Amino acid sequence: MKLTKSFNRSLWVFHLNTGSCNGCEIEIVATITPRYDPERFGMKLVGSPKHADVLLVTGPVTKKMAQKVRRVYEQVPDPKLVMCIGTCGQSGGVFYDSYNLDGPIDQVLPVDVYVPGCPPRPEAIIFGVVKALEKLERLEAAQ
Amino acid sequence: MSGDNVKKSIPYTVPIGPVHPALKEPVMFTFQMEGEVVRSVDFAPGNTHRGIEWMGMRRNPVQIVHLTDRICGICGIVHSLSFARAVEQIAEIEVPPRADYIRTIMHEFERIQSHLLWAGVAAHELGFDSLFYLAWRVREQSMDLIENITGNRVNYAIVQIGGVRRDISDDQRPLIEQGLTYYRGLLDQMKNVFLNDSTIRMRCRDHGLLSYRDAQLLCAIGPTARASGVAMDVRHDYPYCAYGDLDVHPVLPPQEFGGPKGDVYDRIIVRLLEIAQSIDIIQQCLDTMPAGEILWEKKMPKLLLTLKKAQGEAIGRVEAPRGECMHYVRMDGNEAPATWKVKASSYSNLMSWIPMLKGEQLADIPIIVASIDPCMSCTDRVAVIQGGSAGFLTKEELTRLSQKKTRRLIQCR
Amino acid sequence: MSETPYRSPQEIIDLYKTEFGAGILDARITERGEGVHRKKGYNIWIRLDRELLKPAIKKLMDIRFPHFAVIAGNDLGDEIELLYILSVFYGTQFGEYMVTFGLRLPKSDLTVPTITDLIPGALLSEREKQEFFGITVTGIPDGRRLFLPDDFPQGVYPWRKDETGIKPEMVRELWAVNRPKDRPAPPVPEKKPVPGDPVAEGKEKKTGGASE
Repeated sequence: MKLTKSFNRSLWVFHLNTGSCNGCEIEIVATITPRYDPERFGMKLVGSPKHADVLLVTGPVTKKMAQKVRRVYEQVPDPKLVMCIGTCGQSGGVFYDSYNLDGPIDQVLPVDVYVPGCPPRPEAIIFGVVKALEKLERLEAAQ
Repeated sequence: MSGDNVKKSIPYTVPIGPVHPALKEPVMFTFQMEGEVVRSVDFAPGNTHRGIEWMGMRRNPVQIVHLTDRICGICGIVHSLSFARAVEQIAEIEVPPRADYIRTIMHEFERIQSHLLWAGVAAHELGFDSLFYLAWRVREQSMDLIENITGNRVNYAIVQIGGVRRDISDDQRPLIEQGLTYYRGLLDQMKNVFLNDSTIRMRCRDHGLLSYRDAQLLCAIGPTARASGVAMDVRHDYPYCAYGDLDVHPVLPPQEFGGPKGDVYDRIIVRLLEIAQSIDIIQQCLDTMPAGEILWEKKMPKLLLTLKKAQGEAIGRVEAPRGECMHYVRMDGNEAPATWKVKASSYSNLMSWIPMLKGEQLADIPIIVASIDPCMSCTDRVAVIQGGSAGFLTKEELTRLSQKKTRRLIQCR
Repeated sequence: MSETPYRSPQEIIDLYKTEFGAGILDARITERGEGVHRKKGYNIWIRLDRELLKPAIKKLMDIRFPHFAVIAGNDLGDEIELLYILSVFYGTQFGEYMVTFGLRLPKSDLTVPTITDLIPGALLSEREKQEFFGITVTGIPDGRRLFLPDDFPQGVYPWRKDETGIKPEMVRELWAVNRPKDRPAPPVPEKKPVPGDPVAEGKEKKTGGASE
């Protein structure tokens, strides 16, 4: 990852579970522990979508959660990024034919970064957030 | 003056969820409050219903084992293990003893990492963030060992119908023993930090009470029931895998802590003592592991043919970190099972939220809800309607309420 | 904690047969042993009539308070079979066994009495059976939907195998959503996997490799 000039951007992350098995959840929380320590990059997990820059979405979207996911997405202030963690949200994973799921996450929200894995390792999640950082800076430079 | 008193005692409703503070899974709660005190609670699960049992009835058992790994990420091996046990009973497959011992070792490792995960989450709800980070850092040691044996940190995929897929070689044994020594050294420190701390005692003692009779009537299981004095443990009562050869007793809160009272503090005690028990069990299994095969049948087509001819019904039951996990399977000669019913451990524990939360304060809700270790995840929005005006509390504010209460209690000492 | 003596599985079956006589349609014991010493665990399976369900559970509660696990269900064509799975004598080392009461309900009359007055913890399981099989539990204190969303169509019962089950158009194939269609052709012609038939698929792959 190359250090950019505007590294003063610290990304605050909000994590949203749309019905996953929790494997990706525990890997996300394991990422903020001192072993991987993303707080040296300024990343931290916040408790409200209104404070967040990046939305981390996990899980295949169940029918009950689809409406709520959209509402949470609308509360995140611009500029925002959506990251889809885990294969459930990308192609269904093991839940590839179910009657209660509303499809991969990109049918419900616009996704910017995909981090595949079941669950992805903490290093992969950090790599994904770094890619998100680069994309955000590209978006800002383009404006 | 009298007008103010009347306003304070008007009951109001607090809906919490599905994105919720104490848990990582979506569950919708509705609390009926009077002042700061909860009068009744109602919950609505179903946000993570993916139709797993219905999908399973269209796949063959080997494919279902991979599906069961992902029913819950925290309970890594329990669903696959109980499903495999049920199918092995139907098809009359004998599992080689070495595979039983390896299954037991992975089962206990999963229990250690699950209890450490819970200890961190509980500390976070109480306001001890440094304890949260410490507990999860310590958990990384067991994740490394699990990765060494199975190849992955979560979703082990080590159980196959008829045995296990990977063996524990002789060069892996010293690594495992090193990990166990590390945990043994840490255990006294952890007990000291959690159990001798007066603030944790103040927050947790006598909150979230579940009486013995309630635990029996509401079918509570696992550490939730054991903390209330009900001595049930599937490893002790109904032997499976290698537990028939070991001597495992259910862990109840010992007399030196006042005996079982059924509050949140007792559940912390039970889980910490279970970590110590798991370390001993793994050591015993490593010492007495028999040599031999690890799979009943290595060739997949032959295994599938046997399963296709199997007929009958059976129940597979194991002791997950949260309680008893049970699968009922019926096969009738087709490739896919005719019926598959999953009973996860939190399914039985959910009803115990109702008596536990009655009479408790708003700020205690996160720790009490998390104390039964629900295998669900929530994020949160809390809408508080007080006396006519509506306000919104976010997760941070609810957790901050809980943490402020801790600080208030420290100052009032 | 109670003073009732421990009973073996055969004794329990005999107790039931003497009390209920012809109401017990079938009773059997299965066993299994694991580990090096192959210590045995036992399960009891009893089939009864619907009217005997509550007396049978009450009798089990008198023997020793049971632990209620779950209600499982089977769709057998014209009948729906409900299995009440309980376990008794927990707390005794290697002495617990599961007791399963099976009852068959004809599809023309899908009602069953509630057991929440005996065991309140059975509420969630009964609600789940109501929405997944379409049975009516008489006397249930709270009959709302549990897992399915509120806008799920009424009259569709996911676990039934007849025409009220899940129809193919309700199933969403997530892997096929947005799948690109302009990929180059694979070297081995792709055989679409039929769910439930990996035996043929495994053999295909093997012969495909050997012929090269």
